[in-house]
Amino acid sequence: MTQTAALEVLEPGLQTTVQDYPGRRGRQSLGFFSSGPVDSFAFRLANLLVGNRPGAAALEIPLGRFQAGVLAPGRIAVTGPETTVTLNGSPVPQWESVPVETGDVLACEVLRGPGHRLYLALSGGIAVPEVFGSRSTFLLAGIGGLDGRALERADILDTFPAAPSRPRRLPVSLRPAYPTAWEIEILRGPHADPDFLTAEDFADFLAASWRCDLSSDRVGIRFNPHRFRWARPSGDVAGGHPSNILDSSYPPGGILAYGDVLTVLGPDSNTSGGFAVIATVASASLWKVGQLRPGRDTVTFREIDLDQAAALSAHVNQLLDVRALC
Amino acid sequence: MPAAAPARPDVTYRTAGDRALLVEYGPPLPVDLGLNFFAHASARRLEENPVRGVLEVAPGLRSLLVHYDPETIQHDDVIAAMDRLHREIPEPGSLVLPSRRVKLPIAFDDSTSREAVERYQITTRPDAPNVVDGNNVDYLVRSNGLPNREALYSRILESEWWNAFTGFYPGLPSLLPLDPRSELVAPKYNPARSWTPEGAVAFGGPCLVIHPIESPGSYQLFGRTLPICDLVRRPRAHRADPILIHPGDRISFYRVEEAVLIELRRQVFEGRYDYDIEPGRYAVADHLAVQADPAIEAEAAKRRADRVAAQELVKIP
Repeated sequence: MTQTAALEVLEPGLQTTVQDYPGRRGRQSLGFFSSGPVDSFAFRLANLLVGNRPGAAALEIPLGRFQAGVLAPGRIAVTGPETTVTLNGSPVPQWESVPVETGDVLACEVLRGPGHRLYLALSGGIAVPEVFGSRSTFLLAGIGGLDGRALERADILDTFPAAPSRPRRLPVSLRPAYPTAWEIEILRGPHADPDFLTAEDFADFLAASWRCDLSSDRVGIRFNPHRFRWARPSGDVAGGHPSNILDSSYPPGGILAYGDVLTVLGPDSNTSGGFAVIATVASASLWKVGQLRPGRDTVTFREIDLDQAAALSAHVNQLLDVRALC
Repeated sequence: MPAAAPARPDVTYRTAGDRALLVEYGPPLPVDLGLNFFAHASARRLEENPVRGVLEVAPGLRSLLVHYDPETIQHDDVIAAMDRLHREIPEPGSLVLPSRRVKLPIAFDDSTSREAVERYQITTRPDAPNVVDGNNVDYLVRSNGLPNREALYSRILESEWWNAFTGFYPGLPSLLPLDPRSELVAPKYNPARSWTPEGAVAFGGPCLVIHPIESPGSYQLFGRTLPICDLVRRPRAHRADPILIHPGDRISFYRVEEAVLIELRRQVFEGRYDYDIEPGRYAVADHLAVQADPAIEAEAAKRRADRVAAQELVKIP
């Protein structure tokens, strides 16, 4: 397939990476989590808006600062929290496809309001090689994306040929809200009460407002420390703290008790590590984790059951139906 | 230790979100290789007899994380399928698992591990009780109730080490000894270390691990070996398969001086080294025979008792 040089990076931002969806699946037994976008909802919509497959490779831009020169005509779409996006200095809308021409300069400003990650899709999808079945960047292992690293100034991004597509827009009423105090749906366990936590601990977990720590990233979203009572005195041979367990593989979106610090496992997390996972974020709500602003946002967790999780998934899938776009 | 053939383990199913199920085998303690063999047999059986909607499985020490697509198969049907699968697995004592043998050189108490320990002492915890004279080796000796360093090294060299599971980082094996006399246990660092060299060999809990990449870590360092992973496939030896050690492989170590290890590592990077890998299978009956040997079991029990006594003295607060 012929590839076209489509963008030249002028300002790479904080840690902009190429991701695809669902990422590097099927390799957890070899120690890989999937990578891919932390907010897969805004990511897939960006692709749909420019006429791509929802999983095509696109950019994840934490905090929003990014600037690039356009090297070939095509379409772009920026999704995620509201910011100022400009083409040659003039504002262009988010959540809809915008035609671009060679020589244009595209810029996204730092996010000032709520939310944390922007997604930028280019028609055709970004052409970087697949590594273990995915184009997603996995920074820790230095694979995927552009040489396994975040973007740098003067990087050139190629795209695959684009199928013809018409301009598309996601109606305002269907766009996600980005608060600063979040409610995130979770399922209890695998290592919840009564074997690991006490019933009071789990009630406290649900009642508390958790502050998202500044050290949060694609590996994990960490919260303020909290002392649970725990249903057992120690982790025995696995370690002194009761949160220690003998290793089992972690579920994506698991909420890990790393000693006294709860952590939501991110897409680049380690796949095991000997700590109890007290709850797991519902798969349809996992996108919210990608929009938590480190150092500012707070979260309360709401317990749901499997039926409610299925209903949530059906709702999100409906929004990701290309027929919903205008 | 009972010499009778092991029964099928009890199974606990734990919900792990709406797309995964954690299947646990037997009780958490004592650490039992038999449960790990059973987990491997289950994973293998699922691979050979796929269940529609089950996407992948990842083994743990005595567990399997089963990923499924809830739009194809429901939670309760995954449990039913796993129940059926467990019944179809042969008697644990008759299991034969695919298992390659990999031989690796090891340099004990090498300078790179010592550097990692020194950095930890300077930057993280100057009074760490697991650091004695700039290394973790003496701590491992003391906390396992061993007379000296040579006794520790012998335990590591004498056993084959079973890769119970690969996880944490890509390609990182967690190994358990097939000879119960080589059982060693170590607590983790508190707090964790921010840098560990690639190729470092370390102990944490009951597991021996090899670090595939430079990374943080919290296991007690005692040596270094060859690179076991290169995901970018640079050296020739990693091009066909960037991950050297797979779940269920058996590793044995042979001792070399650090200068020799450095030369062998250079050969890997220059594409002149062929890893010593032998295809094969492992019969759980062999493990049971070792366990059933009264002399071996008596020695293992004595060493275990020595270790328990020693660990009371050296807890890491």
